[in-house]
Amino acid sequence: MTFRRYHPAVASAALSLLLGAAGQTFAQAPAGQAPAGQAAMNMADHRGGIRGTVRDANNATIANSAVAAVDVKTGARFEALTDAQGTYAFPALPVGSYNVTVVAAGATAFRRQGVDVTADQNVQLDITLDAASAAQAADAERQELLQQVTELKQRVTDLESNTVLSEPETRVRRVEVFVDENGNEHEEQVPGSKPAVTYRRERVYRRQTISEKLEEALADAEEHNVKIGVDAAITTQFAKRTQGGDPYIDNRAYALASADLFFTAGIAQNTIFFADIVALSGSPPDAEIPSLTLLNGYTARLERQNELNLREVWLRTELFSQRLALTTGRLDLTNYFDANALSNDESTQFLSDALVNNQMLGLGSNGTGFAAEFDPKNGFRLKFGLQQSNNDATNLSESLFTLSEVGYTFTPFSLPEGSYRFWFRTDNSSLDTRKGTGISIDQKLTNAVGVFARYGTQDLEDDGRDHYWSTGVGFQHGLIFNPQDTWGIGYAQMDLETGDREKLVEGYYNLLLTERLRLSFHLSHVLDRPAEGEKFGYLLPGVRLQASF
Amino acid sequence: MFNVARRIISGLFIAAVAAGAAATGIEAQGVKITDPTSVVMIVNRDSNDIGFMDIKTNKMIANVFLGNNVNPHMVMMSPDGRYVVTGGTRANKAYIIDTRTLQLVKVIPTDIAPEHLAFSPDSRWYYQGNPDGDSISVIDMQSLSKIKTIPGFVEPLNVTFLPDGSKAYIGNYGAHWVGVVDVRRHELLKKIQVGSIPSVAKLDPAKYLGEIKGINIAAPSIDGRYLYAADSDLAVVGVIDTREDKVIKTIRVGKDPWRIYMSHDGKYGITANNGDETISIIDTKSNSVAATLEAGPAMTGINFAGGKAYVISSTSGFVYVYDMSSLKPAGRIKIGTNIQLETATTDTQDRKIYLAESTNHEVVIIDSKDNSLTRVKNVGLYPWGTHIMDSKDNYCH
Repeated sequence: MTFRRYHPAVASAALSLLLGAAGQTFAQAPAGQAPAGQAAMNMADHRGGIRGTVRDANNATIANSAVAAVDVKTGARFEALTDAQGTYAFPALPVGSYNVTVVAAGATAFRRQGVDVTADQNVQLDITLDAASAAQAADAERQELLQQVTELKQRVTDLESNTVLSEPETRVRRVEVFVDENGNEHEEQVPGSKPAVTYRRERVYRRQTISEKLEEALADAEEHNVKIGVDAAITTQFAKRTQGGDPYIDNRAYALASADLFFTAGIAQNTIFFADIVALSGSPPDAEIPSLTLLNGYTARLERQNELNLREVWLRTELFSQRLALTTGRLDLTNYFDANALSNDESTQFLSDALVNNQMLGLGSNGTGFAAEFDPKNGFRLKFGLQQSNNDATNLSESLFTLSEVGYTFTPFSLPEGSYRFWFRTDNSSLDTRKGTGISIDQKLTNAVGVFARYGTQDLEDDGRDHYWSTGVGFQHGLIFNPQDTWGIGYAQMDLETGDREKLVEGYYNLLLTERLRLSFHLSHVLDRPAEGEKFGYLLPGVRLQASF
Repeated sequence: MFNVARRIISGLFIAAVAAGAAATGIEAQGVKITDPTSVVMIVNRDSNDIGFMDIKTNKMIANVFLGNNVNPHMVMMSPDGRYVVTGGTRANKAYIIDTRTLQLVKVIPTDIAPEHLAFSPDSRWYYQGNPDGDSISVIDMQSLSKIKTIPGFVEPLNVTFLPDGSKAYIGNYGAHWVGVVDVRRHELLKKIQVGSIPSVAKLDPAKYLGEIKGINIAAPSIDGRYLYAADSDLAVVGVIDTREDKVIKTIRVGKDPWRIYMSHDGKYGITANNGDETISIIDTKSNSVAATLEAGPAMTGINFAGGKAYVISSTSGFVYVYDMSSLKPAGRIKIGTNIQLETATTDTQDRKIYLAESTNHEVVIIDSKDNSLTRVKNVGLYPWGTHIMDSKDNYCH
């Protein structure tokens, strides 16, 4: 008779190796004999036995059939052969529960689980090898194998999850210890000891994955490196004359490319070094249109065509729990003052300088200087700065430009936040523009819409005054194509004591293409009424492509 | 005769009392905590234990060791106060501690890298999120056994149960949706997308095909009717109506919001926007941003106490403070220099904040009354977070 059998021998062997199963096989013993190696133990404890007869499906006894008994708990395996009458015996088994199997023709033909052996008792287990017993045995072995597979999967999962760096991590800590007069260090204060600060390496027991370790190493390396940033832009504008005639130009195209290279490095606690090298190339409309303000804010950076220019280089440190920031070096002092949130950046907002800077701040170029910012993080901010205003001056005393500002951020009248600033400046480098004052406001009306306004004035030697003001609206999250787009409309007007007057309006839409790339469209109109000469006006459509990374 | 009887009765009574006292004494020796609200739990990542600190005396009661290289992540007490649980991130197991005896009573295998967790309001179910296994392990707190692993999530970070316990909402940090789980069947019912990907996303593979920073948590409104889910990459907060399980409004906030934290009075939710180092304060009545204020770098948490919001800036060593009545900055508290701040819990009086500071292995207690600091040192190695039963600020990184 041929039985359909599940044959797990190879898989079981492999699993046993992997699982480290503790099964120990004792030497096969003939019927009626205890397994080899058990004799010594038999003398020390009480045992029981299993015995019976093995028959085939026709009830005929089977000789030389291999019967095995495996201790469920310990995995100890006992084997016996049937004699000529088909009987087998395990006369001295340790007390416990056993799985009894008979293997015939290389496959398990019978399996009985959980045969209980008690002390000094023999269990009679007669075995019939037929189709039913073989099927039952195969099923039991399959279940056992599935259980082993489950355990194996769990072990593999554990193995996977434990594939981490398990060597102890170390880190350095700043600790306070106590040092006595002999220089001995103590954890606790002892008589004659004084507190002292030292640094100590400590070992921690944290498993890290390889990726975590790599990330940490890369972050650490980046922190110690000099960081480099790039801000590049190209602006293209077209000028269409709307008022005035010759000699004012008409229908001209302009382009100006700018590239800033920034270097930043942390050099001490809360202290950084910064340098900005800039190069510009091209022709802005300001070279040909004699407007009071710059029609392209980048023009202010243009000192010499196609030449590298060290625009800024300074050190900044933060003191008193980082409430006071001091910066010194070659500065653009206007960067620190009148930082209007909606109209203060020619690279992402308005292009016209009249909507970037308060024209009454009055500083033409960068120079050696110093800035102090006090920010207690309660809404108030105080700033003071001074800078050499004339790079050709032979001393600071005769070219001193100072700026002071007080600012306050709060949420007035149930509106979102708004920032309000008042500034005051002095400049001794010019005889006719000594002092100036101004205000700057940016106030959100909703999360999407904000308004801004600026006013500035400067007194002149002959008691006259120049005036400037601007206002506008900016949108961040409303009426936009993409979530990070911004747009705005602004108006600026300048009235000089000389009689010169300018009115400028600009609208822009800034499209965020990627985190590092922006494209903006601008349309501005400027109308100038010179004190002497014919008034003129220009319509200037423009495009700005800006990359920052 | 009467005296004899009285002596016998007295003798029996004394013997009974003595036996009772002895029995009580034996039990009392095993009981470490009688009031589960009286302790602050501290999860110590590198000493692989849970610390228990007496909330009145600020003294450590015990540190329950979990095992070598367990690296526990978040600790939480069951709402009934009976058990304290944590997920061992590097051991892939959940650990259950008996609150009264502080004995580790069960260790249950989970999926890979268990981190954040939550209990159903009736304390029956403990949902353990496994971010690296993309699954939730469901642990039955009656039998203290894992009954199911719910698959189908993408880096599940936090679990929020509805007050009636019928549904749980899972924030998926590796995707842009909130998973809705039927708690009766422990099955993922639906995925709620909180915001749409902008059309220019394909131009920016470095951002959108790099690491996803999706949804950390769906935080509930005070009545549990609405959930607020901030999506980091999309820089929005989706407001989910839990009756219909749909987004009713999308609010744009600052760049790279780590997650949202709800104020205790339910009026505001605040996102910590690590991309631009600001916070966005959302008015839950109008579901709009009431203010966007300057904050600090690497924010890991926001706690509310004494009418103020305390924003933890982990790498700067500062906690930024905001007045929640005027919605304006109210200064900042320096905790230390060159230290790493982790997360914090607030006591049930909404007065004291227990902030884990991992560099010096201490918990810093901020009293919101005067912003004074008390330091409890040597609480365990690398304290990673704290927890108080019934606190409204129980969260983790």
